[in-house]
Amino acid sequence: MRQFLARRAVASLVSLAFLVIAVFFLSRLTGDPTDLYLPVDASLEAREQFRQLHGLNDPLIVQFWHYLKDLAVLDFGESIRRARPALDVVLEAFQWTLALALSTMALVTVSAIVMGALAAFHVGGVFDRIATFFSLIGASAPDFWIAIVAIVVFSVQLGWLPTSGTGTPLHWVLPIAVLFIRPFGLILQVVRGSMITALGSAYVKTARAKGVAARPIIFVHALRNAMLPVITVIGDQLAGMLNGVVIVETVFGFPGIGKLMIDSILQRDFSVILASIIVTAMAIFIMNLLIDMAYAVLDPRIRY
Amino acid sequence: MKLSVYLGASLISLAAAVPALAANTDITIVLNEELEVLEPCMTSQSNIGRVLLQNVSETMTELNPTNGELMPRLAESWEDQGNGTWRFHLRDGVTFSDGTGFDAEDVKHSIERTLSPDLTCEIGAKFFGGMKITPTVVDAHTIDITADPAQPILPLLMSTLTIVPAETPMEFTRDPVGTGPYKLTEYNVGQNIILDRRDDYWGTAPAVSKATYVFRTDDAVRAAMVATGEADIAPLINQIDATNPKTDFAYPNSETTYLRIDSAIPPLNDVRVRKALNLAVDREAFLGTLIPEDAKIATHMVPPSTLGWNADLKAWPYDPEEAKKLLAEAKADGVTVDTQIELIGRTGNFPNVTEVMEALQQMFSDVGFNTKLQMYEVAEWVKLYSKPFAEDRGPRIVEAMHDNNRGDPVFSMYFKYACDGLQSGVCDHELDSMIAEATAATGDERAQKWSEIFKMVHEDLVADVFLFHMVGFSRVSERLDFTPTIATNSELQLSQIGFK
Repeated sequence: MRQFLARRAVASLVSLAFLVIAVFFLSRLTGDPTDLYLPVDASLEAREQFRQLHGLNDPLIVQFWHYLKDLAVLDFGESIRRARPALDVVLEAFQWTLALALSTMALVTVSAIVMGALAAFHVGGVFDRIATFFSLIGASAPDFWIAIVAIVVFSVQLGWLPTSGTGTPLHWVLPIAVLFIRPFGLILQVVRGSMITALGSAYVKTARAKGVAARPIIFVHALRNAMLPVITVIGDQLAGMLNGVVIVETVFGFPGIGKLMIDSILQRDFSVILASIIVTAMAIFIMNLLIDMAYAVLDPRIRY
Repeated sequence: MKLSVYLGASLISLAAAVPALAANTDITIVLNEELEVLEPCMTSQSNIGRVLLQNVSETMTELNPTNGELMPRLAESWEDQGNGTWRFHLRDGVTFSDGTGFDAEDVKHSIERTLSPDLTCEIGAKFFGGMKITPTVVDAHTIDITADPAQPILPLLMSTLTIVPAETPMEFTRDPVGTGPYKLTEYNVGQNIILDRRDDYWGTAPAVSKATYVFRTDDAVRAAMVATGEADIAPLINQIDATNPKTDFAYPNSETTYLRIDSAIPPLNDVRVRKALNLAVDREAFLGTLIPEDAKIATHMVPPSTLGWNADLKAWPYDPEEAKKLLAEAKADGVTVDTQIELIGRTGNFPNVTEVMEALQQMFSDVGFNTKLQMYEVAEWVKLYSKPFAEDRGPRIVEAMHDNNRGDPVFSMYFKYACDGLQSGVCDHELDSMIAEATAATGDERAQKWSEIFKMVHEDLVADVFLFHMVGFSRVSERLDFTPTIATNSELQLSQIGFK
């Protein structure tokens, strides 16, 4: 296991290094942030001063060397737009995204597994029809549309929930509900498919022949074996959310990392772009590691 | 089970009770983006200005943007000492929100800090470029400020410069301290900013006791927040959401849209071609369709409340036949009117900008112009809008929107029309002299000179294609006594808000 962890860590670090190099140079290819930061009427002298102050006149390779030297002591640089350490800006945003992603995925996982397992047990039954309905909505309705309609219905018309913001637990209901639909539909279908295969297998038939009740057959015997592909999809969906959920963050005013990344790219706030990528990449690396370990727990045949 | 039901019900009732518990003189303002910094020397940025300007951080003088009048604020009076020096007499008995007293040393430090090359303050870059400002403390409540070259409008310039305590470090602050009627009490990054009314403010106590600023990027959400009572003012909403006449206001936002013509390059160097461009545009057709019907057809680069506004100027009529005639005349004289002209727009500059540009292209095409429309993202667009222009460029027309809410044309006319102006498409030495004279003049003479310049730009040189003085839309709760004005684009003084 230790060897496996060490191998994964080295592989992830190499990937991260390539990512940092690529993003560093590619983001600078988009141009100079001076024109975006200063007002249109700013003089040429003011522009020159700005470039000098932020080291933008140095050759790219010199800028990269300075960046690497700072990164070696965990200094991610200063956000040009926010005049604060880039890492502070990113971590503040990431905690919101992390909270939103984890709470949504926890709800999605439990609901999709229960609903998917029941749908598979009675193919064509009530649960199966509900599962198909949600999967269709999840696959076809765009997030921004659901979000705006949810605000109009539940906040403006019915007045049950706040439109947006983060102040109270009620503020989290609509964003989580909107984020819930798409991964729920997807994971539910994977659980259903995987469970149909598991329920048709020899060991389930044996259990049934021995008179084991339906509930233990579904949730003990079949589900555990059906979980491996499900875990993969959960990991994939969670990784997507950890990269930020721009639409939901924008509409509901969640100060998350997705919106921060988009804004930083548009503003050419290079330090924040790089810090965001490093932080989210690290989070995804840790999450993938946990998923690999979950495989080993679920299936004793898997050993690292 | 009972416990969980009880906890759930308590949580819901607590959340629902929060707005009810708030005092009815507390207000919430929803802005269209989160503030990146909360720095007094950046209050020329709209949303930073809406939070800080004259609420937390005050200026020495204050412009009344509706009539262009300059009013005292932290300076009670000022006089021209000659040789570019102005003497300001400061208000006595003023304290900062940290309890320290306000005096001339604070003004000196604020000027040096705002203009410091180590900070890149927007106020410095925007209003004080190309001049050297030297503050000299005379006594605790008197300060001489010298500008080189001399600035007849130095008192007006001081309406842009926010005053901070002398102890403020030479780096961006996140905890602004000012002399205004409110103090910053909470700054929860990404969530809200809270200002509380000061009891020890030198002026009249305002009606609003507390202001909470929240940030929502989505236009529909901001409008919905005022509709549901979650917020009281949304200074900027989309025109399509401005559907309730009781709460939604259109206000002139001091922005003017226009097409900047590069008159150095043929065929645009021929005045008949520039006239034809103006005559080809059916401005009336845009109003109420792609442009809000409250917008005004422009004849100037600056809004009507600006000094020297020339009421005699008339918009170019829509006359495609006359435009065709002028082009034919020019062609007969050997002007290459068939040359393809680049028509450049800025993506997202104002609502419907792409459709407006497409319509303009069609109108130009209808009278015989050969234009190629290209829309650029802001950073690329700036390179085409501002000098230095490429030496090997072809004929080019650039769509732009210019904001002058400072009441004096000097903030526009040099940049846009002098030979060395950063975004000037013309170079006329007589116009240069006129701009220099108007910049140095004072009083009625100044107004007269600017008025003549406006006429020359619009009628004689036909330098640009002016389009519209634009409007913004705000939503204001019915419980408030507040009407947005031209100032709402750059500030939102809580002291001007009352309750019905």
